[in-house]
Amino acid sequence: MKVLILNGPGLDDLRRMDSSFDKELSLAQIEQECGKLCAKYGIDMTFRQGDVVTELFEWIGRSAAEFDALIINPIGYYSYEAYEKFEEYRSAIKMLAHLKKPVVEVHLTNIFRHGADLIEPLREPDAKIGFICGLGLHSYLLAIESIAQQHNLQGRVA
Amino acid sequence: MSDTKKVRVLNGANLNLLGTREPSIYGSTTLAHVAERCVALGAEHGLEVEFLQSNYEGAIVEWIQEAINSCDAIVINAGAFTHTSIAIHDALRAYNGYKIELHISNPHLREKFRHTSYVSPAVNAVVAGLGVGGYELVIKLLAETLRRDRV
Repeated sequence: MKVLILNGPGLDDLRRMDSSFDKELSLAQIEQECGKLCAKYGIDMTFRQGDVVTELFEWIGRSAAEFDALIINPIGYYSYEAYEKFEEYRSAIKMLAHLKKPVVEVHLTNIFRHGADLIEPLREPDAKIGFICGLGLHSYLLAIESIAQQHNLQGRVA
Repeated sequence: MSDTKKVRVLNGANLNLLGTREPSIYGSTTLAHVAERCVALGAEHGLEVEFLQSNYEGAIVEWIQEAINSCDAIVINAGAFTHTSIAIHDALRAYNGYKIELHISNPHLREKFRHTSYVSPAVNAVVAGLGVGGYELVIKLLAETLRRDRV
């Protein structure tokens, strides 16, 4: 079982997140905690971050062949530029949908509390996309738990 | 409040039909079965889970109001009230405990009239599209995090 965890533009430095976010948390810590949980379920995890959407696109493309599930945090800042970039994800997500690969979209904060509607959830009607926002680190961990649950993976006792 | 943490799981319109209504979207598990699993899972982790459902908007509002001084967290799957109820939005805003919006399917992948949620801006977190298994995942998460007094 292989899972790709992909982090979009702006997520390299979480200090730029809005005030509702726990500033003590770094992407490296998130990677570490995700790694621990994946190991518990025997999941092979690849964790990446990129600021260039074409690169992300390429990773998603590769993930379709090499990974069983994708966890994606599309973006780490909220701006009109980000909103435009968001559209570029759509075709890649569509490809995954046709291959019946499960996708879980995660956000650290509750994107519906920003008020400006700058970030919208990924919308691809034919896809199987789970959605988790507002749980901080636990947004990622719950996504991993969900994938493990759907594949009936039993956690090993550490 | 006693040491046992209390979570109220609220279910809105049509969730009583779970298992028979559009099983291709919502699955074949019944709500009674989900309730049983959530209560048992909570008990395993020292968490008291109250699992409620109503087709009446006012009942949901009153259950949220009651929770203000009696529950540590609310999990709410308001069903179609999600997209219509400002009353539920207001009640949730009055509740200061931890709040998670839950959906079995992902409303954002469905009809346009399901894309707006009055619940989302009034809660801490949103979990959707993980199937009925989402209920258990959220209960497990709350059991772990409420014990540490943070999410």
